[in-house]
Amino acid sequence: MQTGITGPEATTRQAPPNQSVDGRLATPRPTIDVGRGAAAAGEDAIVKSRAENLSFYYGTVQALKNLNIEMREKRVTALIGPSGCGKTTFLRCFNRMHDLTPGTRYEGRIMLYPDDFDLVAKGVDPIEVRMRIGMVFQKPNPFPKSIFENVAYGLRVRGLRSSARVEEEVEKALRRAAIWDEVKDRLDSSGLSLSGGQQQRLCIARALATNPEILLFDEPTSALDPIATARIEELIAELRDQVTVIIVTHNMQQAARVSDYTAFMYLGELIEFDNTSKLFTNPSKKATEDYITGRYG
Amino acid sequence: MNEPGEGHTIKAWDGALSGLRGRAHQMGTLVAQQVETAVRALLESDREAAELVLRREQQINAWQTEIEAESFRLLARQAPVASDLRTVLAISRAVTDLERAGDESKKIARFALASAAQGAGGPSRVMHRPLRHMAELASESMRVAVDALDRGDVSVAHEVARLDREIDQEFEAALRQLMTVAMERSRLLKPVFDTVFALKSLERIGDHAKNFAEHVVFLVSGADVRHAGPERGEAARETQH
Repeated sequence: MQTGITGPEATTRQAPPNQSVDGRLATPRPTIDVGRGAAAAGEDAIVKSRAENLSFYYGTVQALKNLNIEMREKRVTALIGPSGCGKTTFLRCFNRMHDLTPGTRYEGRIMLYPDDFDLVAKGVDPIEVRMRIGMVFQKPNPFPKSIFENVAYGLRVRGLRSSARVEEEVEKALRRAAIWDEVKDRLDSSGLSLSGGQQQRLCIARALATNPEILLFDEPTSALDPIATARIEELIAELRDQVTVIIVTHNMQQAARVSDYTAFMYLGELIEFDNTSKLFTNPSKKATEDYITGRYG
Repeated sequence: MNEPGEGHTIKAWDGALSGLRGRAHQMGTLVAQQVETAVRALLESDREAAELVLRREQQINAWQTEIEAESFRLLARQAPVASDLRTVLAISRAVTDLERAGDESKKIARFALASAAQGAGGPSRVMHRPLRHMAELASESMRVAVDALDRGDVSVAHEVARLDREIDQEFEAALRQLMTVAMERSRLLKPVFDTVFALKSLERIGDHAKNFAEHVVFLVSGADVRHAGPERGEAARETQH
């Protein structure tokens, strides 16, 4: 078993190490402390996104401290940690949700591969970022429109005009979100007429409609009952084959159930990142152990 | 917010886990005593000691049932992870070894009772020394393993493995000696057989102590050392028994 501080072997597609697509030499890729398990797992996953020396400030308050972490393609990564540890702040960086809050500031980069696209770079259009990275929130928030329009909206924003194509894509997204059978006969009903769990799956369908590369989940089941929660978890397991998922959850059993990798954060820092089985059976850091076993937090 | 290193936020969970460890320790201590008492009963044809072993065996069985039920309940209700999960799993495995070691002591006590009933039965005098020595080793290895649980000490696993090897060597030597006795004096066949069974029980107790120590290693470090390292030979041999 390795004890090194470098991560498990993972490769970025197309872009060679330390070189951006336009051929200029990029800053060296930082090594990441991922503990032992991920290396032991020996998984040859592709890196979809990588935070590099990422810091984030709300005014003078530093909420994220020099994070270095890789998100692997078509894998589920869970972010866990006590309230205020920065996990939601970090998640929101991925689709530039902080842009509307005055006085916020990013340092470092969040690279999206294969095209070496820095999500938090100045001058990058947040709308473009959000086309590629979808988000599902804690409370289901369908638009006060029909079920169909909820899903069709993003497609139209993307410029899809043909109504036949829109219908096709809406059905596809609703099927992917495992809600098609429940709503196919009432696509004109309001999205708000659905149950909480159905609304959340509708929001997932809405996010999936634009074929995002990464789907962010911010405590997606905290407002749902256990059955609706199980359905969302099952859905995340199904989506795993299609899209990279990052999920923030307060429910550690949920992180243990749905994720392939888990990152434990504390006070704005990444304490431990490892494959989920390792982290929940034998974490490398005492702080992680104390948190997941309920000794503090 | 609690600071790292303090107990669980849910205090009852601390109590439940330490209770589980405490009872496993108590059970292990009694098992170690059983070995000594059973062998004394055999060597001294002491009926009372043998009966004491049989009575205490019921207590050991009751503790096993109780600890396993408690472990099962904790798994269901607390969904423990990391070291807490390892504690519950390791202890519920460890008590199986304790109960089996208890059974071996019971077998020795039954031989003791049968020998005492036949009057001048029991193992031949020539076998007293190896029996006594193996009993000391088996009981000591059980104590060392059980104390390791108390202290969360992984280093003693090596000590227990060493004791187990010593017990095995003693067993082999005693068997050779008994074969000579059996060949030379066929009227001693019955006591020779009794002695072989008692020795075999002690040898098994050494194995259970070694298993127990391996559960402690898993509890403390998360490493599964059952089929690894210098003890691989013993592990492989054990599967042939």
